[in-house]
Amino acid sequence: MSNAPAISLRRVSKQFGDVVAVADVSLDINDGEFLTLLGPSGSGKTTVLRMIAGFELPTSGEILLNGNDVSNEPAFKRDVNTVFQDYALFPHMTVADNVEYGMRVRKVDKAERAQRRDEALRMVRLTQMADRMPAQLSGGQRQRVALARAIVNRPKVLLLDEPLGALDLKLREEMQTELKALQRALNITFVYVTHDQGEALSMSDRIAVFNGGRLEQVGSPRDLYERPATAFVAGFVGVANLFDEETSQRLFGRRAVHTLRPERVRVLAAGASEGHAARVVDSQYLGAEMRITCRLDAGVIVVASVPSAQARIASRDEAVALSWEPSAVFEVSASR
Amino acid sequence: MKKVSALAVALLGVVTLGACGGGDDGGAMLEELGEGEGAVNLVAWAGYVEDGSTDPNVDWVSDFEAETGCEVNVKIGNSSDEMVELMQSGEYDAVSASGDATLRLIAGGDVVPVNTDLIPNYADVFEGLKNKPWNSVDGKAYGVPHGRGANLLVYNTEAGAAPSSIVDMFSPDSPYAGKISVYDSPIYIADAAIYLMATQPELGITNPYALDQTQFDAAIAALETQKSIVGQYWALYTDQQAALENGSVTLGTTWQVIVNLAKANGAKIDSTLHDEGATGWSDTWMVSSKAKHPNCAYKWLNHIISPKANAGVAEWFGEAPSNAKSCALTADPNHCATFHADDEEYFSKVYYWTTPTKDCLDGRDVECVPYSEWVNAWNKLRA
Amino acid sequence: MGERLEQTPRVTDSGRNIAGRGKPRPAFALWGLLSAPLAWLLVVYVGSLALLVVSAFFSLDDFTGKPTTDLTTGNISEAFTQGEYVSLVGRSIGVAVAATLLCFALAMPTAFYIARLASRRTRRALIVALILPLWTGYLVKAFALRAVLAPGSDYGDGGFMSGLVGWSPGFGYVAVTLTLAYLWFPYMLLPIYAGLERLPNSMLDASADLGAGSLRTFRLVMLPLLLPSIAAGSIFTFSLSLGDYITVKIVGGTAQMIGNIIERALLAPNQPLAAAFTLWPMLIMVAYLAVMGRAGAFKNL
Ligand SMILES: Nc1ncnc2c1ncn2[C@@H]1O[C@H](COP(=O)(O)OP(=O)(O)O)[C@@H](O)[C@H]1O
Ligand SMILES: [Mg+2]
Repeated sequence: MSNAPAISLRRVSKQFGDVVAVADVSLDINDGEFLTLLGPSGSGKTTVLRMIAGFELPTSGEILLNGNDVSNEPAFKRDVNTVFQDYALFPHMTVADNVEYGMRVRKVDKAERAQRRDEALRMVRLTQMADRMPAQLSGGQRQRVALARAIVNRPKVLLLDEPLGALDLKLREEMQTELKALQRALNITFVYVTHDQGEALSMSDRIAVFNGGRLEQVGSPRDLYERPATAFVAGFVGVANLFDEETSQRLFGRRAVHTLRPERVRVLAAGASEGHAARVVDSQYLGAEMRITCRLDAGVIVVASVPSAQARIASRDEAVALSWEPSAVFEVSASR
Repeated sequence: MKKVSALAVALLGVVTLGACGGGDDGGAMLEELGEGEGAVNLVAWAGYVEDGSTDPNVDWVSDFEAETGCEVNVKIGNSSDEMVELMQSGEYDAVSASGDATLRLIAGGDVVPVNTDLIPNYADVFEGLKNKPWNSVDGKAYGVPHGRGANLLVYNTEAGAAPSSIVDMFSPDSPYAGKISVYDSPIYIADAAIYLMATQPELGITNPYALDQTQFDAAIAALETQKSIVGQYWALYTDQQAALENGSVTLGTTWQVIVNLAKANGAKIDSTLHDEGATGWSDTWMVSSKAKHPNCAYKWLNHIISPKANAGVAEWFGEAPSNAKSCALTADPNHCATFHADDEEYFSKVYYWTTPTKDCLDGRDVECVPYSEWVNAWNKLRA
Repeated sequence: MGERLEQTPRVTDSGRNIAGRGKPRPAFALWGLLSAPLAWLLVVYVGSLALLVVSAFFSLDDFTGKPTTDLTTGNISEAFTQGEYVSLVGRSIGVAVAATLLCFALAMPTAFYIARLASRRTRRALIVALILPLWTGYLVKAFALRAVLAPGSDYGDGGFMSGLVGWSPGFGYVAVTLTLAYLWFPYMLLPIYAGLERLPNSMLDASADLGAGSLRTFRLVMLPLLLPSIAAGSIFTFSLSLGDYITVKIVGGTAQMIGNIIERALLAPNQPLAAAFTLWPMLIMVAYLAVMGRAGAFKNL
């Protein structure tokens, strides 16, 4: 069983009354992998995570941890730990007691408890806060206590539900790096939930994209970005120009949905020998790049992304020509 | 300090009870009867003021209201202590006080002398009831006698033959042990004294309300012993009535009115007077010193001792009427004989409730235990 | 948003912020606003309490039963040193504690079921069903239990209970405890229910996640977090039970509690002694609140 995946979901579905929260999801998560569940709000990510943790039981399908079917095991018997989005620290216990809680209920002896607690607090750099109450900590500190409380139990799998959601941008970026470092140091499986595609791309080994309770695509960040399987993935991961079947027929000669990343679009002066004639509708300055929205004479909107250093400010209604490599355009399946 | 605490007393009266009037500075005796004030507020024993709502045939209030235009409002006093407390509030015009309340009311200035000239029916009251120590002071009447009676023994007729002795109420091996019902009032200590008069003559008790410390301690000891066989201490007459009806009580001290009510509901019980003599009452209607409706109060006093009303209440409550002419009007022609209405010999064996004082009521030259100590002892016994 | 795990952790930092907030306002405006209710509180609450304490030192005119202003400690020593009264107080505390524990034992699972397990519609129905009795009269309920608990005898049928199971505790301290628990149950249920509603789901999930079974989660997480609610409920049930004297009269048989002795003293009438007895429940409640405070019951108030 040693090379069984850390987690296997087999045709897992979950319904709340009439609401189908998760529909027929199958997914293997490997040992030591950093896997992200990505999707918009309400797409079923949390529900998947809660089923892995054991807080919800699937309506149908199976969940395996290390090859063992745990579908009907209660949460406290599963060898996974969770970092909750609201941290869920016990407000009546000190930081130290919070961190020791899991070891306490598992009857780890006192000396080992203290040693592991100190080690965990050191890893999240909170050694001096051990005697504080959660209410006396900042948001970022609480977040790290929640992390310490989970990893101190040395779980095989750590589940994190939007753990950085409540932090401000700066802290968030710091924590992203720290989390990734921690995962490497501990060498355990992380299942990470976020709706922020940037976060997903920067941290994950693999990303599973959810939409309306369904799993749209699983793959490395690069796969997803460069070869999105569906229109939804293309649109959700990064920015994409999507061409419906009609337009594709006219532009590319194929009746299928096509996608094109804005940074692959070149903006040329009007009357250039190549490219499609267009007019500038809008242009946005975004720092490193400029985003220029154009309307092809054929009527279709196309967004181009150009490094600011190379672009001059295009004025509205200016006539331009847009061109791209044929290889930059590829077919995706239509969204549901 | 004196001033502060006097203020405190005044405020306490306002805040908590609204009690505490002045001493003897209340209203004086009525000299002349005027128009009725349209209403009268009474404090009375249960069964004394019946308007047909308990039993449609038991009504001596409606005709009074029709005749005088005085609307009758009644507050049932469940014990003499409660009646004293109610009268101290000054909210009531008249009260049917027993002998253990009358003197306290007089001393407290809560009632005023009654002008018997304004009460025509007073003339027909048995002479044996007029000018008694519990209803007059220095020959001045403080009320009109209502009626008298003895506290009876009630027993379950299925539990055995009629008991004849008070010993069954006190002896630990009483056949009624565990199902005995005792009147929950300090005045019941006198019943224990009567039990001791019969069983421990060497204590020398002659009047159950005049107990020196030794006699009193013996009475309390008897009551402590009795505790283990008591199934109920009743303070509300309805409590005893319910217990008699459901059979959880098979012997107890009672009033005839309770027996009547329970029997009407099918209880298999009867009442009897025990041989040793009994405590009893001789009640007096008195007028409050703060009466807001004095004329209606006088009209009520005259009415309740009128032959018909007095006959009605005497039969209903189970006592001897105070008006000699009532005896001709009772539904049961033998009522007056049964209740010994004019039998002074019989009533010599009945010890009317009266307030024990330090000066022994039997004239002995020792210190007797005053009523406040009776109250304390009873409260401790019941604690 | 709208996700289950995205609740803000209210338990952890509510209350604390409020204390630090708000700048000092012109004092007189505030006092002007508060003076009427404060005066009322002072006169009615503090004033009558003070009078009660003072009047415990008054003497009684033996014969008329009226208080006089001659000061004495007799009432206090009567109420606080006589063995009969001390044992009565002990029994009253026993009954109040037992009724409170019974209320808690019944309210905890009921509240848990309503707050955490029941469907939304059942929840609403149950809350209504459990609060509705508060609108029925106290006496009606006490007499209802009297009808249930009445003991049977050779000469008459007992209540429903002895009819149904052939046994009933009869009238006495057990019946008083049962009846008080029945009467005050909603006062325990509602605060616990409210506390459970406020308790974030994730708190219980976190405990299970860390390996605690439901019993341990109850003991280590739920109970401490619900302590303020339980304390609030128990203050209601304990003080209401301790002061009760009517239930005792209805289902107590020969049993007595502090309230009965106070009533007796009042009717005697011996108002100063009644005032002295009243100090008992006052002191007991102060002690009870102190114990609750020690146990951390008011930390999150
Ligand atoms: N306990 C629940 N009861 C009813 N509906 C739920 C419950 N939990 C989640 N849902 C619904 O399931 C869907 C997926 O929710 P969730 O897994 O929380 O999504 P995400 O975490 O991706 O935002 C949503 O429509 C949500 O409203
Ligand atoms: Mg979520």
